[in-house]
Amino acid sequence: MRRYVPIVILVVVLAVYGLFYQGVWDSREQVRSNTPAGYIIPSKFSRILALGNQGLLSDFLFLKAATFIGGRSSSGSLLNEEDWQYVIRSLDVVTDLDPYFADPYVLAEGLLAWDAGKPEAANQLLIKGMKYRTSDWRLPFFAGFNNFYFLKNYEVASGFIMTASQLSGSPAYLATLGARLAYYGGKSKTALLFLQQMLADTDDVLLIKRLQMRLQALERAVLIEDALEQFKNQEKRLPNELSELVTAGYLITLPLDPYGGKWGILKNGRVFSTSKFANASQKKPTKKESSSQ
Amino acid sequence: MKSIFALATITFKEGIRNRSLFGIALLALFLFGLNITVAGFFMRDIGKVTVDMNLSALSFAGLLLVFFVGVNLMAKDIDRKTIHLVLSKPISRAQYIWGKFFGIQLFVTVSLLLLLVLSSLTVLLLLQMYPAYFVGFSWSIFYIAAFFILVKFSVLAAIVVFFSSITSSSLITLIFSLSSYVAGVTIEEVVFYLQSEFAVQEKIISESLKIFIDIVSYIIPNFTVFDFTLEAAHGLAIAGNRIFLSLGYGTIYISILLMLASFIFARREFN
Repeated sequence: MRRYVPIVILVVVLAVYGLFYQGVWDSREQVRSNTPAGYIIPSKFSRILALGNQGLLSDFLFLKAATFIGGRSSSGSLLNEEDWQYVIRSLDVVTDLDPYFADPYVLAEGLLAWDAGKPEAANQLLIKGMKYRTSDWRLPFFAGFNNFYFLKNYEVASGFIMTASQLSGSPAYLATLGARLAYYGGKSKTALLFLQQMLADTDDVLLIKRLQMRLQALERAVLIEDALEQFKNQEKRLPNELSELVTAGYLITLPLDPYGGKWGILKNGRVFSTSKFANASQKKPTKKESSSQ
Repeated sequence: MKSIFALATITFKEGIRNRSLFGIALLALFLFGLNITVAGFFMRDIGKVTVDMNLSALSFAGLLLVFFVGVNLMAKDIDRKTIHLVLSKPISRAQYIWGKFFGIQLFVTVSLLLLLVLSSLTVLLLLQMYPAYFVGFSWSIFYIAAFFILVKFSVLAAIVVFFSSITSSSLITLIFSLSSYVAGVTIEEVVFYLQSEFAVQEKIISESLKIFIDIVSYIIPNFTVFDFTLEAAHGLAIAGNRIFLSLGYGTIYISILLMLASFIFARREFN
């Protein structure tokens, strides 16, 4: 009988361990989703602390930042300003440790420019990357895209796209796109071209999902714009409301905005959506922004 | 020359017999396996991540080899008093030091070569899995970087031999060598920081500290000289004179240390 005592105790202890294990991991999950992003050691120090493994450290910090964002978005909580600052600083440190690393620039473009609404921060990183990855056409392409799409700086955008088009491996249409940008900046069709290229060049699942949603929204915007164009040519005036396009037979139905906004029409004939193609809870469209389109 | 060779062979055999070798090999295998798993987490620069992880794994394994097996090989003779037996043979103390160093060197070289074969297989596998994401990867630069990891640990082995010639405690040798290693990989950042404009603005940094660091930078080997990970990771060309300078710096540093070690060891008393 005595012989079994240690075994019984072991089984009990193992069972208790199982309970604690569950409890600890559950509580960590809660703690992680509630805690602010935390502090990232400036590259001035982490370069030294890496003890010669700066490359490896940059991989690790990049993965950490990516997991942080992934964790927040899979738990459904949105990143606040502090979280984004953490991401920006992380990517800055990662690219300080290894300025040739391509992934942080791609992530910066996908997240900072698109989700955080911080195209300037993304551009800062991209410009840093261009100094090192001199033969990578994607970086000036992204910077051009941000200037075009978010900052509406068509001339600067065209300059970046032209730079990108001169680098080897860049798609042939970039040169035309650059030229086109300089003339008709704000058209949804130009954005569509851009977006299709972005999508073809990405294999990050999260980003693909976001890009596809954006692409869908843009395709619908282009559909409406095309119908509007036809309407304008035929009727020699602008419709008062977009539903007029449907009643007049230029559109079968008014497509839904995948972001849940309502389509509207500006006095200059441009189509816009009240969602501004951002998740409604992330930011609200301001009047100034929509009229600047 | 013959006795140095004989001592080196014995030391090498002793090292190979050490059981911690399996642990280190297992660890390296684990790191290579981890590499294969983790590589998929990255979006595009998988080649860079692979090279980073492989070279760091080699570097880490080399560090353990020198610190656990190398230190042990040096200290064992003195600890177990077999040194008396060895020195009673027609072999000078300087020859003993050089023989021991070449033995450790041979041991580290062979172990790292074996790990490099495994590492190459990992890289090859990942290259097959993600051929599109190995832009700019070059085997030759990868092997140059791996070779300089070996050079780095040769210098470290010389440091271990040097400290073992002074002290009879393997723990002290380990601590001193580890400190030298940490100082060696960081010294460059400190020196360049002091030369930078930031440091000029900070008036608190005294002149004497600068002189002190300057002196230390002569004594401590700059291990960043042997670091070509960045070049290997992104396939950037390495200038020929950098290879020449790094190799020369390493060789000279090792020779000086071993000469000093022989000099000290010749005057040492054993009880």
